[in-house]
This record gives sequence, structure tokens and C-alpha cells, in this order.
Amino acid sequence: MSVEPKTQEYFSSRWGLLLATLGMAVGTGNIWRFPRIAAQNGGGSFLIAWLIFLFLWSIPLLLVEFAMGKATRRGTVGAFARLLGGRYAWMGAFVGFVTMAIMFYYSVVAGWCLRYLAGAVTGQLSSLDNLEASTAFWERFTAGHSLLMSPITFHLVAMLVGALVVYRGVARGIERANKFLIPALFAILVIGAVRALTLSGPGLEGSPMAGLAYLFTPDWERLLDYRVWLEALSQSAWSTGAGWGLILTYGVYMRQKEDVVLNTFIAALGNNSASLLAALIIFPTVFAVLPAAEATQILQESGPASTGLTFVWIPQLFLRVPGGSIFLILFFLGLFFAALSSLLSMIEMVARNFMDAGMPRHKAIAWVGAGGFLLGLPSAYWLGFLGNQDWVWGLGLMVSGLFFAFAAIRYGPERFRSRYINTEGNDLTLGRWWDVLIRWVVPLEFVALMIWWSYKAIFQFDREGWWNPLHPYSLATCLVQWGLALGFFLLIRKQLARWADPESSS
Amino acid sequence: MTAAGWITMVVVLGVAWGGFAFTVWLAIRRESEKRR
Repeated sequence: MSVEPKTQEYFSSRWGLLLATLGMAVGTGNIWRFPRIAAQNGGGSFLIAWLIFLFLWSIPLLLVEFAMGKATRRGTVGAFARLLGGRYAWMGAFVGFVTMAIMFYYSVVAGWCLRYLAGAVTGQLSSLDNLEASTAFWERFTAGHSLLMSPITFHLVAMLVGALVVYRGVARGIERANKFLIPALFAILVIGAVRALTLSGPGLEGSPMAGLAYLFTPDWERLLDYRVWLEALSQSAWSTGAGWGLILTYGVYMRQKEDVVLNTFIAALGNNSASLLAALIIFPTVFAVLPAAEATQILQESGPASTGLTFVWIPQLFLRVPGGSIFLILFFLGLFFAALSSLLSMIEMVARNFMDAGMPRHKAIAWVGAGGFLLGLPSAYWLGFLGNQDWVWGLGLMVSGLFFAFAAIRYGPERFRSRYINTEGNDLTLGRWWDVLIRWVVPLEFVALMIWWSYKAIFQFDREGWWNPLHPYSLATCLVQWGLALGFFLLIRKQLARWADPESSS
Repeated sequence: MTAAGWITMVVVLGVAWGGFAFTVWLAIRRESEKRR
């Protein structure tokens, strides 16, 4: 494949690429989503399932994505077209669409983080001295009582900041921003975890060690619950970026002699390390401030779109610990940095597909920024819609992951590995074990979880509502929305092939 | 915390943090080898 265009941009160094990749992977999912999902799914049992899927789902797929980006030098649509032929461009379009749909509400969540950071810095959050005040603050904000301080304004700011950074290009924008954001984020997480684990003193009703025990003690029976495995796979994919097409997009800008295998492992393990650091802030803090029974209840409950813990309880809890105001600023600063670094990769992913079709960078970024803002408005207005989109497209990543596995299988796993993964400059050689994982294990995981989930939804936990596409967390809402997107892209597959990569459409 | 909790903690943190530290160290070593 001769694919190096004259205008090809590159990350300036391996560390620049790695920090950007970590920035893509470490996002709000690590801080906002992971602790809640772990708490609701059996603590230690969930962690075991989550770690298994890191190696059996996320890493094999991240390897495919990185290699596809580097080999084809195209975004998701063009990468599928160049690797498998133009008639498969629709698969790349679906992958890109799922991530774009996530981007719409992700920018809203990034806006929330920014609002709470502003609230922490100005001392607004410090004045919320009870749970009612904290809840009222959140509800006033999300209801958009004041347009200037509404989710729409902060969604706009988040999208604008993200688009401006990406507008500057890969090395001067994305790489430079992540060189600051990611070391700062890790420093904040480490400081926060050390502080949380050493909490003691008057006013604290529990112990941080109880939080550790809750996080790590496995409940073996929960391992027989399909939801633990479904959530573990979804969280692993959500958090590492497997199946999103984001690492594929960054792969487009890696230098020809850059390593694929070791860099993938660093990004995946670094992502999980960040998730665990975030959990080591949240669990010990909750259990130090409150008695164990109350702490357990709070961790397991969540407001719409899992907002309760982060945006209602965290301000309350942190303010009850010594030095809490500073702790609170650091927490929301870290959360915003994580959100922004991931948002950059999503904007670049969507824009890359437009650039492949011949649109100049500045125009593509302007379209993505404006479109992202407009199509994120429903989520900014209505938490219920955001919750539905998080459910539908978070799980849609399983389908995207399957498409990447299909790409490698269709091409031939061994041929793909020797031609695109084990290339010159690699620091580690990928063995045959990957062929088995990508050919058999990944598709089997998809089929098993889909059957298990469908069976349980239809016959057990959602017998009344599983068929209803208007029910926000039903099986049908996923199938209908995925089906509409797939149907549309299949319908325009020929145009897609020509649009994304004219050379391969013949 | 129970023994199962401690073991899970050591395994999970060992794999994630240990793995991350090891792979970063390996990358630093390989980069310095390439420069030589």
C-alpha cells in the first residue's frame, strides 16, 4: 500500500504519540464512570472481569486499529476501504458514527466538568454545606436557569477549546496540549489518591481502608451475573478506546518506523492504571467520610447518566475532609483535563474522515465543531437523552470492535500481523496468540455477550420493556438505533467508498 | 479486608501499575538503544 501523502503530518516523537494516545484513552470514563460501575458490579469481581477483557478484547483490537491507521494513513472510513476494498467502507463509517455520537454528549460532560471546576475555584461549591444544597446546585445548573451558566454554554466552551486545539494540527495542537494535560492529570491523580488513602481525623465517620476493602474484595457469586461481564467489557472498551477508531486516527500520524506493539500495551495499561488511581481517590474518600452502610448505598446509587456520585456527592464529601477545597479544585481540574484530552481525539477522528474526502483541515474542524455543538444540544438540554445515548453508543462499541476484528480476519490474521503489526522499528514482536484471540476469542465474546444480554433482557430483568425502542435503557433502543445507522451506511456504501478514498473505490 | 481482597488488590494493581511501569521502562530502554 503506497499511502504517504505529501501533506502527511506526524507526531514529533514517540513520547508525543504516547502522551496523545494516553490522552485519548484516559478520559472521564476513568474518573466519572469506572468507580460507579465497579461499585455497582461487585467491586473485586468486576475488577477481575475488567482486567480479563483488557487482554482478551481491548488490547487485541487496539493493535488492529493502530496498525490499520499506520498502514492506510486514512481515517476510519478510508482505512476499511483501503484494507478490505471500497465495499467495506460502510463499516468504517459505522465505527466513526458511533464515536461521533459519543462525542456529541461527551462534550456536554466536559462542559459539566468545566462548570464544576469554575465552581470549585470561585468557592461556589464550598458554600454548599449540605446534600440538599449540593443537589439543588446541580439541578439548577442542568435545568439551565441562567443561560450564561447553563450546560449549553459550557458545552459550547468545551467544544470551542477542543476545536481550537485540533485546528492547530497534530504536532502543534494535539501533541503539545497532551504534553501538558497528561503529566498534570497523572500528578493530580497520584496526589489525590495519597490524600484519600491517608484521611483521618475528627468529623470522619468511617475509614479509608473500608473503601479499599469494598473496592477489591470479590463477590464470587457476582461472576455468574452476565451484567458484570457486559459492564466489564463495555467499560474496558469505553475506557481504553478499543473500537472507537481513535487510536486508528492517531496511528495515521505515527512515523513509519514507530513501534505498534509496545506502544499499544503502554496506552492500555496506562489507561487502566489511571482508572485504578481514580478509584483509589473515590472509594477511600466516600468510606472515610461516611459510615460504611451509607457509603455503600451512595456508591451503588447514581443520578441520571451516573451524575449523582460525581456532581452531587463529591463536592459534599471532599468538603468534609481537611484541605477539601483544594482537593475539590484538583479533582475537577483532573476531570476536565481528562475530558479535554479525549475530546481532542474525537474531534480529530471525525475531522480526519472529512479531510480524507478532500476537505482542508480548517474547514473540517469548523464543521465538526459547529456540528458537534448543535447535535450535542439535546444531551445538554435533557439528561434522559444523554443517558440513552450513553447506553446505546457505549454498547455500540461492541459492534465497532467486532468490525475491527472482522477487518483483521477478512484480511487474514497472520498476514495482517506480519505485514502491518510486526514491522520495522517494533520493540516487541507480536506472537501467534494474537491470531487466535482476534479470529476466535473476540467474535465469541461478542456473540456470547449479545445472546446472554438478549436472553436476560427478554426473559428476566426487562420483560415488560425490552421491546420498546422508546424505553431509554432497553434492548430495542440499542438495536433500533444501531440498525438505523447500519442501514443508512449500507444504503450509501458506494458513495461512501468514493467519498472517503477514491483510489480504492474501483 | 479479607485474604481474597488482598490477593485481588495485589493482582489487579500488580498487572495494571506493574505492567505500565514495566512497559514504559522497556520503551525508555529501547529508545536509548536506538539512539546509540
